[in-house]
Formats: sequence, C-alpha cells, structure tokens
Amino acid sequence: MAVIQYLRPETLDEALDHLHRSGRRTKILAGGTDLVVDLRNGEAKPEFILDVSRLPELQGIDVTPDGVSVGAGVTLAEIESSEVLKRQAPSLQGCSRTFASRQIRNVATIGGNVAHCSPCGDTVPPLVIHEARAVLAGKGGRREVAVEQIASGPYACSLPPDEIIVRFILKPVPGITFADFQKIGRRRALAIARINAAAMARQEPDGKIAFLRFALGSCTPTPQRLPEVEDHLTGRAPTAKLIWEAGRILAERTIAITGRRPSTIYKESAIQGLFMRMLAPLVTT
Amino acid sequence: MQDALVSIRFRLNGRPSSAEFPADTTALRLIRDVLNLKGTKEGCGIGECGACTVIVDGKAVNSCLMLAAQLDGRSVATVEGLGAPDALHPIQEAFVHGHGVQCGFCTPGLLMSTKALLDENPAPTRADIATAIAGNLCRCTGYHHIFASIEAAAAGTSNKD
Repeated sequence: MAVIQYLRPETLDEALDHLHRSGRRTKILAGGTDLVVDLRNGEAKPEFILDVSRLPELQGIDVTPDGVSVGAGVTLAEIESSEVLKRQAPSLQGCSRTFASRQIRNVATIGGNVAHCSPCGDTVPPLVIHEARAVLAGKGGRREVAVEQIASGPYACSLPPDEIIVRFILKPVPGITFADFQKIGRRRALAIARINAAAMARQEPDGKIAFLRFALGSCTPTPQRLPEVEDHLTGRAPTAKLIWEAGRILAERTIAITGRRPSTIYKESAIQGLFMRMLAPLVTT
Repeated sequence: MQDALVSIRFRLNGRPSSAEFPADTTALRLIRDVLNLKGTKEGCGIGECGACTVIVDGKAVNSCLMLAAQLDGRSVATVEGLGAPDALHPIQEAFVHGHGVQCGFCTPGLLMSTKALLDENPAPTRADIATAIAGNLCRCTGYHHIFASIEAAAAGTSNKD
C-alpha cells in the first residue's frame, strides 16, 4: 500500500505549482465527502491529497457584471442559505434542499459535485440551465469551459490534471417567472437521484412561454439540455396536453440516447411524469 | 514513511489538543482509535447513517467522510464533551426521559445533530427537526420518541434561557 501525503497549500499558486508537478498522482479534496469514500473502497489511490477547501479564491457567492459567481469551494449548506441564489438561481438553491443530509451539505462543495462527474450530480442540471461556465486555473493562466463539457462520461472528468475549478459563472437571465429543481430518489433524504431535472422559464401575461431552459440528469451518461423539449413549448401557451407531449418527447429522446435497458420500463414513464409534475404550474388553461 | 504523517492542532471538547497520524486516517478513526473516544460510532462508514456525527466549528458533520487532517485548526465536539454520566446535558436528559433511546447505537450521532440544531435554532419546528436529523438513521424507535425528546429539549432550553 503506497503512502499518501496530505498537502494543504496556503495559496492558489502553491496549489497550481503542485498540480503542475504531480497532478496525475494527486486527488483534489474540496469537502471530501466523495473522495473519502473512494479512498476507503480503494477506487482512489493517489500519492497526494491536495486539500483546497481553505483557499480564499474558491469561496463566496458574488454578483459580478458577468453573472453570479459561485466559488468552487462553496458548500451545499451555503448554497441553501444564500440570498443571492434565492433571487438569481432558485433551481440551484432548490437542489441544495434535498441534497444528501445536513451533515453532508455542511461539508460537500459545488466544485466537488461537478468535478466528481457523477451522472446524478444534483448541482449539474441547475448549472447547465444557467449556461454556467467553470473558471479553471492552471499554471499557464485561466480559461473558461461550459459546465456540461467537464464530464466526458460517467465519473470521467475531461479536465487536465494540472487545472483546478476556481469558480462557476452563472449567466444572468432577466425576467424569469418560473424556476424549479425536481428529483426522484428511493427515499427523501440521502438518496442518490434516479432522475433529476432543472427548469426555468419566462411566461408572458397571456400564458405564452417566451423562454424555457430544461436539463435532465441521471438518465444519460452526462446531464444535458434537451432542445427538442424546449422548442416544443417555446412560443406557446401550455395546456396539460402540450406538457404531456413535451414529456413524451423528453422520454423518447432520452431513450434514443441510452437505448432500451431493463430500467427503461420504469424510467420512460417516470421521466415523463416528473416533467409533467414539474411544469404543471405553467399550465394556464 | 515519516513525511507521510500529518500532525494537527485543534480544539477537542473545548481543550487544545494535537495528534499525528497517517494522511488517509478519517476523523472517525482519529476520534475512536487514536484519541480513544468510543462514544462516536461507526455504522455504515459511507455517510448514510449518521452514527459518526460530530460537530466541527458549530456544524454537524459525518466524521467518517472527513479526513482527520481536515480538523487542523478547527473546534471539534464529540458526545464525550456534551455531558458526563453524573451531569447529563439537557438534551441527554430529554432523550432519557422521552425514551428517545433504545439500543443506543444511533444516540451519540442524534445527540450531536440535535446539539448543532438547537445551538443554531433554539425553537425549531417539527420540519426543522426532520431536516436536521434526516441524516441519522435509527432502526429501533420509529423516530416518534426521538422527535418528542428533541422537542422537549428545545422547550427546556428556551425555558431556561
């Protein structure tokens, strides 16, 4: 059994220096709620653990000219109690309420949830509907990448080992009248999502949906937006039948991506059902 | 081997403390096997049962999901710091009188989740209590007596204040 070294750099530059030298042999620890389990069961066998949880660059939730900036080290508990996110990204705040348990929310971070690349990561669908970009830092400087491009498959992170997620920038979307996060799990607390989804919309006074973004998680290799579903509803005033149709399209598109599996008999109905329940408040007639 | 050991300084149940251990030691292992405080229990070891709940800087956390190294500079409270056998904490009194304990294995974790809740919110609603202890499994009581015990502890706390 190899000996593991624990490092807690004082500055982001120190962290990036280490990753530049030894990124491939390092696991980054933000909260540790996934990493410590992976260490325990032998799925992670790093030589170094780099604890970035106290780096100031990774903290805080701020409103900037580019959008809402959420530090990668922000905990789910901080997201749950954020007044800024309550106004600017209610679906992201929504996902924090059903995220694991109080004990885990107190420690687990948004950056860790995204970088772990679970298809079921609850913070990902809300970030995706905000077209959130991850700000990455490396020794060569900073760059941005769309959140949905971070996972290249289930638990497969596409980011190079010498870079670290510093923040997420959520694009401002004016005039949103509806936002929600929904999830189906085996029980209410601590359940890993079977299906999760985020949506936000702007509905005109006449009932027409002027703008809609919808993203589905847990069902496809990586969480993603479904443009066919958004297009089916945009510009129309939703009836129960229209929502039913859009839910049907969603289920069909999802199955087209994954193929028919043993779980399809359940998921086909459940995906459509979750979608209809989620968008029911938009039905005006 | 030497350089892979981590040494930390932290506060444990109000007193300054220090420890040295291999880097992959969890906070739970530190508490139980290095510091020999056996009140904190290991149930599942993967953050699902809450038996290992301790309080770090005022917040309830699963000590099985945390590296001991993460406690450096922090203030840690375990059930041993809550009360003594001849001087129970009011929350412990409430659990005893309210029959919130059966086999007792989940109890230290529930006490610590309750302590963190009441420190933050001395008058919790039933929904607040449910949120606070959703991460603590009890296979004996069916939870009704635990809710009643926490409500009694909250009422006692607010009476005294």
